[in-house]
Amino acid sequence: MKMRKKPGKVLGIVAMASVAALSLSGCTRDAPGQGGGSGASPGITDTSITLGVTTPLSGATAGPGTCTVAGVSAYFGAVNAAGGVKFGDGKTRTVTIKSYDDAYDPQKSLSNFQQMVSDNVFAATAGLGTPTNRAFRDAAISQKVPQVLVMTGDPLFSDRQESPWQLGFVPIYQNEGAAFGKLLTESAGQHKVAILSQNDDYGKGYVSGFKDAIQGAANITVVGEQTYEATDTSVDAQLTQLAASGADVFFNAMSVTPLTIAALQKAQQIGWKPSWFLPSNTSSPTAILEPGGASAYPGIYSVSFAKAPQSPAFAQDPDVVKFLAELKQYGNYPDMPAFPHCMWSYMVGATLEQAFKSMAEPTRDSFMASLRNIKGLQAPLMLSGTSIDTTVDGQPAVSSVIVQKYNGKGYATAEKFG
Amino acid sequence: MGKLRIALVAVAAIALIIAPLVLPAFANQTLVRIGVYAVAVLGLNIVMGYTGQVNLGQIFFVGLGAYVTAYGVNQGWNIMLVFVAACVSAGVVGLLVALAAARLGGLAIAMVTIALPIVGVPLAKRLSEFTGGSQGISARFSDAPEWSGLYTDQWQFYIVLLVTAAAFLLARNLVQGKYGRAFGVVRENEAVAASMGVSPYRTKVLAFTIASVLGGASGFLYLAAVQYTSPETLSFGHSIGLLAAMVIGGAGSIAGSLIGGAYYVFVPQLTNAIDPNFTTLSQGAILLAVLFLLPEGLVSLPRVIRRLGRRWTARSTSENPPQKAPAQHPVPEAAGEEPENTERHNRS
Repeated sequence: MKMRKKPGKVLGIVAMASVAALSLSGCTRDAPGQGGGSGASPGITDTSITLGVTTPLSGATAGPGTCTVAGVSAYFGAVNAAGGVKFGDGKTRTVTIKSYDDAYDPQKSLSNFQQMVSDNVFAATAGLGTPTNRAFRDAAISQKVPQVLVMTGDPLFSDRQESPWQLGFVPIYQNEGAAFGKLLTESAGQHKVAILSQNDDYGKGYVSGFKDAIQGAANITVVGEQTYEATDTSVDAQLTQLAASGADVFFNAMSVTPLTIAALQKAQQIGWKPSWFLPSNTSSPTAILEPGGASAYPGIYSVSFAKAPQSPAFAQDPDVVKFLAELKQYGNYPDMPAFPHCMWSYMVGATLEQAFKSMAEPTRDSFMASLRNIKGLQAPLMLSGTSIDTTVDGQPAVSSVIVQKYNGKGYATAEKFG
Repeated sequence: MGKLRIALVAVAAIALIIAPLVLPAFANQTLVRIGVYAVAVLGLNIVMGYTGQVNLGQIFFVGLGAYVTAYGVNQGWNIMLVFVAACVSAGVVGLLVALAAARLGGLAIAMVTIALPIVGVPLAKRLSEFTGGSQGISARFSDAPEWSGLYTDQWQFYIVLLVTAAAFLLARNLVQGKYGRAFGVVRENEAVAASMGVSPYRTKVLAFTIASVLGGASGFLYLAAVQYTSPETLSFGHSIGLLAAMVIGGAGSIAGSLIGGAYYVFVPQLTNAIDPNFTTLSQGAILLAVLFLLPEGLVSLPRVIRRLGRRWTARSTSENPPQKAPAQHPVPEAAGEEPENTERHNRS
């Protein structure tokens, strides 16, 4: 054994450490949530306001995730270049967007949120993903930090009792199903509907919205209903069963791209050619409908609320031209947007600007009150017939969608079914 | 045990107890997450670093522990019971898997463990009565109670500190004792182990089960820190992340597990600060840099510095009689330098 130290020395070290520690612990931390002395919330000064976006910028969801940052950065980049936003309290501020990568990992999005609080971010916005937004929802509520206009179809974010500091942006799944159901009930003639849905909250949301809309309609009957799991590799068996029901309308609440293509092909092979409804995220003309041979069907319907820059119909649209230029200049996104999230995020920018304009005090409370009071705002890139409405409890900022019909190249608004 | 070491441990303990009271909230929250993943990496280290069995499914046990915790908390169980349930359920599943997988041995055990998170994600989505489906499940039990007068991040720090310290102490004692030696022999050569009366099969099952229990404990801590879990929690990619963290911290090292946990949490924060658009790229660059410079992990950094320093002094005093050089290498000194003796690589 080595030589032993005298006990006195050991005690001395411990005693010293304790004294140092106790004197340090006397320094208490500033109460969280307090900014400058003027009563302003953190993240807002007389000349600027900082917003944070936590979203997947790497991994499988990076494509749409990058768009959620690019759109809102593009919008405020142009606004800042023009001088900034004139807030409701009379001061003009520039808007800074800070982005954080969560790689669609809930643990990382919470970590990013904590970092935002430490970085003095005024509000979290525009982030994509249900689990990632849910992961810091409780923390945002308890720290009274707004988590608004987030990209998730989860209705929880639009429930004011449950989520006082939250607001969803995109339509919830039920909205999409209901829009199609409504179009169907307004059509002349009898329709037999077959339903295939993903066995989770996604599929159930679509189906419940659709069923609510067709409730009591005499001309609509549901003749077959099947489900599949998101991990299934084939739905051939379900399609064969549904085809036997003789339905002329097929409501397919499916979120898996390859499965949707396979379903479009399989139904043709077995000679079943109904009209289709597809959700907005699995109805891309180039990625799904063309490989699936969708022209063989009497009609493919989907829903949207944003002008598609790819579509020839909107190529000369002033909104679209301005959007693409700003996306390139300020959004660090030089290509044609591959995902609608770029357009949605741009609209988030317009909605936030509207809220800032009527925000009487530089506080989060005032911001939330102002944000929840927007009605009838036609944000740039919105299709006519849709608008921002944040005043309805249980509904996200955008709850109106337009049913569209595939015309062989892209989509055009469908006035009526058939 | 030297008195100096007792004093050092006492100072470290006091520092850890005082730290959350003086650190800013974000530092506490970061330390909390480091604790969560350090325990998971520790489990992985027992089965991979010490026993040499490839385990690619550790995140499954973390997720299982998290789901059991969420379920228990929402059912209103006592929190101690919840903790035990999280550890035991992960341990039982780990034991059952190991009983089958350890018999296969070699790469087959790696294949079986890959299957765990791959099966786990759809399972978590389907069993929505227990798991909340793909929307996940929230459970808040780690908010600071009124009487404590603490902030939530401080309270969470103490919960995590308690469990993490206990896990590390137990693991340290385990690998120092006869089981630790058995792990090492099985890792080096199963035939030798068998000839010495150590059953490779039982040893592997034991190591795997302990790793699963630690995974479950880590899942409990995950819920204490994040208060939410979803199928994304147990996606396969995170398992590889844990594996990388273990190798970077130092395979076969207790202290390396802590460093690995810190790496797992810290590097994404760091890369986010550099440029959020290139997190994966810069993480890869850091991983490569560490593996090139310190193939035995960050834990070997002091040893490498010492070795370089020794080489340098040896060169500068090359006139000295050469018999001094070998005297710097033998075992007694190595043991003296590393009183912890939990390191696997104590031959350098």
